[in-house]
Amino acid sequence: MVENYAILPCNGLDKCAGVISRELAIRLCENAKNEIICPVYYRVAEAKYNKIAGGHSLLVIDGCQTRCASKLAAEKNLKISQKLTITEEAKNHNIELKSNLRLLENENALIEIILSDLNNAQDQGRRSSVETSSLINFEYETYQNSKFIFRVPKNPEVYFNENDCWACVVGNRARIGVTDFVQQNLSDILYFTPPEIDAEIDQFGEVGEIESSKSVFELISPVSGKVISINETLVQKPELINENPYELGWFAEIGLTDFESDKELLIGFDKYFEIMKTKVEEING
Amino acid sequence: MSETTFMGVERDKIDWKPAIDYTKCDYCMECVKFCSHKVFEVRETEDIKLIVRNPNNCVVFCRACSKICGPDALSFPDKNATSQRIREIRKEESNG
Ligand code: SF4
Ligand code: SF4
Repeated sequence: MVENYAILPCNGLDKCAGVISRELAIRLCENAKNEIICPVYYRVAEAKYNKIAGGHSLLVIDGCQTRCASKLAAEKNLKISQKLTITEEAKNHNIELKSNLRLLENENALIEIILSDLNNAQDQGRRSSVETSSLINFEYETYQNSKFIFRVPKNPEVYFNENDCWACVVGNRARIGVTDFVQQNLSDILYFTPPEIDAEIDQFGEVGEIESSKSVFELISPVSGKVISINETLVQKPELINENPYELGWFAEIGLTDFESDKELLIGFDKYFEIMKTKVEEING
Repeated sequence: MSETTFMGVERDKIDWKPAIDYTKCDYCMECVKFCSHKVFEVRETEDIKLIVRNPNNCVVFCRACSKICGPDALSFPDKNATSQRIREIRKEESNG
């Protein structure tokens, strides 16, 4: 059961996905001890909703990728503990949303599916990583540009792609994450969406997502294989990615299937360090 | 300056860029604001107000702008096919 949540829905009234968000929030509040946060009334009744948000875990329901509800949470400094996006859910469940603003068969079916998914996930809990210690002793080279410091690991076990993601390969598994370049650009990371355990990943496939008030970034996997564990700590403390994206802020561990072939399209420290410096200079001048 | 190679392959040989579905796009221009690589161009006075101007500026394997596009109007080539193609080109070039 989803219980004791503050629910912040998108409530966009002129889009089908917004109307579904609203209905889903109402349903979640009807059946359990959850409280709704009205995004419109929040603008004028700040104290009321801050109090509700303070006393509950926060579930944010975005209608579409414009992410108005997530942005509102970021603006109000609320810590999101779970979220979902209606258009994504519809896609995942092969339900086509049209432009109708009344809930019809499809929309109601989607609401039922999401409700049951939410409840099941809550009951099962999430499988987490057992081992959180570092795989290796990271050694860094640093590059400073104005007040920003960028660390890049020099260890030969660490490989990079040109999409600013790294993989630390030990035996037949790899830990993966984003580099300092990504975390500095996003600034304060507020939300981490882990990949599914057991998901099969292609090289350059997306594995998990992080979000700040500025932007969203999907990790582009340097390696192919299967997700064997995720960094559960990040779900509660995504800010660890800002602190150290290599030792604390890794996303997941991948059981490797064809690293010899993956390696052909990866680079080592020397090359990545140069590429990253060029990118930083392009942005900051 | 934009990258001219990706993994040692001339950027021009790699087909990776967003495609705009004009039946869905509502010209909110969130993608333009979002992407720092000057891939898109806004054309205020034209009928089609947004085009992909510099496809080679698009970061290979990035699909970030499609994630912030509300109406889901942006699509990309298949990643596997693209990485396969990059491998082939690298092989051809190292043999030739
Ligand atoms: S974000 Fe999507 S809808 Fe908005 S202008 Fe870009 S392509 Fe069009
Ligand atoms: S995919 Fe990335 S680099 Fe390409 S246009 Fe979109 S945001 Fe810009």
